[in-house]
Amino acid sequence: MTLALLVTLLTLTVLKATPIIFAALGGTISERSGVVNIGLEGMMAAGAFGAVYATSATGNPVVGVIAGILAGAFFGFVLGVAATRLKVDQIVAGTGINLLCIGGAAYALVVLFHQQGSSPQVASLGTADVWLIVLAFALAIALHAFLWLTPWGLRLRAIGENPRAVLAAGIDPLRVRMLAVTISGALAGLGGAFLSVGELNIYSDGMTAGRGFIALAAVIFGRWTPLGATLAALCFGFFEALQFILQGRVAWLPSDAMQALPYVAAVIALAGATGRVRAPESDGVPF
Amino acid sequence: MKSLMDRARGARGALGALAIALVLITAAMLVAGASPIDGFAALFAGALGGTHQLGETLVQATALLFPALGIALAFRAGLFNIGAEGQLLVGGLAAGALGANVHLAPALAAVIMLGGGALAGGVWGGIAGWLKARFGANEIIATLMLNFIAASLTGYLVAGPLKSSPAGGPETAPLAHAYWLPVLLPYTRLSIALLIALAIAALLHVVLTRTVFGYELRAIGEAPEAARRAGISLQRMALLALASSGAIAGLGGASIVAGELHRFNTQLSPGYGYTAIAVALVGDLDARWICVAAFAFGILETGGLAMQAVANIPKDAIHVIEGVIVVLLAARRYVAARAAIAS
Repeated sequence: MTLALLVTLLTLTVLKATPIIFAALGGTISERSGVVNIGLEGMMAAGAFGAVYATSATGNPVVGVIAGILAGAFFGFVLGVAATRLKVDQIVAGTGINLLCIGGAAYALVVLFHQQGSSPQVASLGTADVWLIVLAFALAIALHAFLWLTPWGLRLRAIGENPRAVLAAGIDPLRVRMLAVTISGALAGLGGAFLSVGELNIYSDGMTAGRGFIALAAVIFGRWTPLGATLAALCFGFFEALQFILQGRVAWLPSDAMQALPYVAAVIALAGATGRVRAPESDGVPF
Repeated sequence: MKSLMDRARGARGALGALAIALVLITAAMLVAGASPIDGFAALFAGALGGTHQLGETLVQATALLFPALGIALAFRAGLFNIGAEGQLLVGGLAAGALGANVHLAPALAAVIMLGGGALAGGVWGGIAGWLKARFGANEIIATLMLNFIAASLTGYLVAGPLKSSPAGGPETAPLAHAYWLPVLLPYTRLSIALLIALAIAALLHVVLTRTVFGYELRAIGEAPEAARRAGISLQRMALLALASSGAIAGLGGASIVAGELHRFNTQLSPGYGYTAIAVALVGDLDARWICVAAFAFGILETGGLAMQAVANIPKDAIHVIEGVIVVLLAARRYVAARAAIAS
């Protein structure tokens, strides 16, 4: 492999990993507080679509990114209310949010853009997307520091382990969980916005392609820590980049089969993570 | 067993979801600038307005019923299988490949195609089951990942090794006419696949309520710790539950190939495996109610197309409503502790 190709591979790895890092950080903070966010995929789609719509309306992709964050946060808030105040089945509610967001984006494409399948092209961040990449890594470090070095980080982790004890200490676990899931949605929305107006300049149906679930696998593989999840996301980003590079360069490798590479990697990581990792004690348990 | 109170609550929940769905459909029509009266007229005329329409509604209901029954089976065991889409695809591919290459008596060929489809779907679901049983891998993520792997794999196989002819599109060779499943309703696409699906529903109901296997399935879903102490192997049950769940979805894929498409192509499913999650939940994971729910969703799917054509309301509105219904139904209690099955 030539040096140029290696540089391309590494650059692509970081580029492909970034949306997964954002979503995986969201997944980590949510699960640390005790709520499993199966809706990450839908929240990414909402963020990706929201970013494209706001960009098309204002012509400014930065406004688009902010709209993407808000769109993701909105659906995070919906899941947060469902999971805390209504005490519903988190997995079922998250699945509903996935159906709702992905179907909703397809519906909104027709209503708002009058076309099916994909949006018209909009302005993109272009090379400015590098700032979002920097932000992803900065957020990973900041979130890690927050969770392990600050009193509120300790409280959040404690709520994921034993909410009753935290309540006894005078903190409302439900309020913290709701905030954590809303932030989780905002991060997933940011990841989606990176896909649509950072990497590309368009929203198309199915563009999130399971990245929300890959991010959930990254949370587990990364042992529910922000830095671990980031490393895992880089791993999956590497396989996505590798698939991209191998396509067309190696004639005997069928490109259809190569597309499965990141998903196969995620399944293997999921199986390999077991035994070494432990989820927060009250992860997924309503309080 | 659920008490009468639980039943009543479940029915109220489903009716409430239906009422909200109707309000949302009306809202979606108003947003799209169409008259709700025209919209609903188009929806019901398109779904039930004649033999052809009814046949098509039942075709959609059948396609949703198989994966919904599979999902319900897994869910009753506390396992969330969101991989029905991939299991449908591999089941359809197996049926298409077998049907294009075997030369047997028609009845036997149909059995081989459907059996092969069920087997392939069972293996696909079983992979997630094995990962769960052996490594404690989260089945929600694993089954979803396997959907994308199935799409890539089937796409590769029909574009290459299993392609009908070098000049043809990405699909298997057409099935011989004799291999087609018999048509149930003349002049429609509705085949006896509907009867097979209803038979599976009856079988599932009996298995869940009258057999030891069904009892053990429900036990690991409702009280995993008690089940484990009673000597039920959670690992073995997880594997069996996900494999049989996948087999039912795979049979569904095979029935679409043998009954309607008469060959396999990658457009087999417009997302039946995902919509079927909503069908299973609306049907309260009860095989009898799932049949009713599948028919209702068949009306939405078929009528939605008509609504789009006549009243100019995007069909995707239906999927938004499905999502809202699922979020609302999450308030119901399905299983005790889903996360408990880990090695």
